[in-house]
Amino acid sequence: MSEILRAENIHKYFGKLHVLKGVSLSIQKGEVVVIIGPSGSGKSTFLRCINHLEEYQEGKIYFEGKLVNPKKDVNKLRTRIGMVFQHFNLFPHLKVIENLTLAPVKVLGMDEKEAIKKAENLLDRVGLLDKKDVYPAKLSGGQQQRVAIARALMMDPDIMLFDEPTSALDPELVYEVLSVMKDLASSGMTMIVVTHEMGFAKEVANRVMFMDEGKILEEAPPEEFFTSPKNERTKEFLDRILGI
Amino acid sequence: MYQLEVLIRNFTYLLLGAVVTLKITAISVLMGLAIGTFVGMGRLSKRKIISIPSSIYVEFLRGTPLLVQIFLIYFGLPSLGLNLEAFPAAVIALGINSGAYVAEIVRAGIQSVPKGQYEAARSLGMSHTMAMRYVILPQAFRNILPALGNEFIALLKDSSLVSVIGITELMKSGQIVISRTFASFSIYGGVALIYFAMTFTLARIVRYTEKRLAIR
Repeated sequence: MSEILRAENIHKYFGKLHVLKGVSLSIQKGEVVVIIGPSGSGKSTFLRCINHLEEYQEGKIYFEGKLVNPKKDVNKLRTRIGMVFQHFNLFPHLKVIENLTLAPVKVLGMDEKEAIKKAENLLDRVGLLDKKDVYPAKLSGGQQQRVAIARALMMDPDIMLFDEPTSALDPELVYEVLSVMKDLASSGMTMIVVTHEMGFAKEVANRVMFMDEGKILEEAPPEEFFTSPKNERTKEFLDRILGI
Repeated sequence: MYQLEVLIRNFTYLLLGAVVTLKITAISVLMGLAIGTFVGMGRLSKRKIISIPSSIYVEFLRGTPLLVQIFLIYFGLPSLGLNLEAFPAAVIALGINSGAYVAEIVRAGIQSVPKGQYEAARSLGMSHTMAMRYVILPQAFRNILPALGNEFIALLKDSSLVSVIGITELMKSGQIVISRTFASFSIYGGVALIYFAMTFTLARIVRYTEKRLAIR
């Protein structure tokens, strides 16, 4: 195993509000890390700092051992880091297949035909090949999120970030998205997932992290994390969320 | 009856003026769109060297009368050694003026696109320019099409002002006919009808485009 990404001591302020207070994370190739925590704990913000959608005021991020320069390397870095958003953020003016091919063609200079072929393969993988010529508005939330995952995979990312990917979905649609994510994890994709899906965390994560008030309070493999949490706040949170 | 006869006899002449009106409008619309797109994006720029001049441009051109702007360009620039023919002067004045209004519309259009769209584009490695070009502006333009349509119609009507610098567009053509025939009522009536026919058609075209481009 080799380290693919490392965040060191990330501090983030929104004005005077100190939202990340020295968050660090190291993730190995092929690892799945799930971050949980109450809303407002900074977990989404931290995820967005990793691909520099948010600026951070202090700290360092290394990608494949190299220090990332937030002023210079960002576009390149983002082609290697896929991101899936809570609200899917598909491009509504483009058909599903065009949503997938836009970035590889424009950013990577991929041949259009090759991109279409690749897109069809990925759509097939998420079970939506028959929707390729449809506009996103015609799809259910679950379908849209699967398209969004396929869109991110088009860039052949080395790591995928998921920012509460199922939080905006109707309960009966959560399953189809999680199952795509499970497939992805078992194919060896490195993933950082911010979620409230404890079942997913138990089943898929290599490590679970608990964040509260801008800090990582606990970090453990899921068996240990869910059965014998050490931190008082973690216990409280788990009790509430698991309804014990 | 005399009035009607004069109108019928001079109708083709008025239509020739209307063609000039359309030409002026078309070129100014394109100019206004180009200027407005850049200035509209400029107003939203984080860099002050871009956003402040953009704001000044918009405020100044919206805050001064179009007629003054036309005179400034046609009569004012020559005293600085820059002589412009009436036609280019007219088009430039209208285009620059329209650019200010279009800029405000474009700014609102860009702001109407959810922030997540920009983030999604950037997260796929697109530069700011690419995200604007392929993701934000195409959606913004769909959203602002009705407002742009209104602006184009206003521009078509405002183009009558350039009759004062001697361009024989529709308004001027009418005045020329009246100076010969004194049939003010029927000729100005005819001129009004032709303007209306043009704006009405333009409004229909905008409506049609809007429907065709609507996000399905």
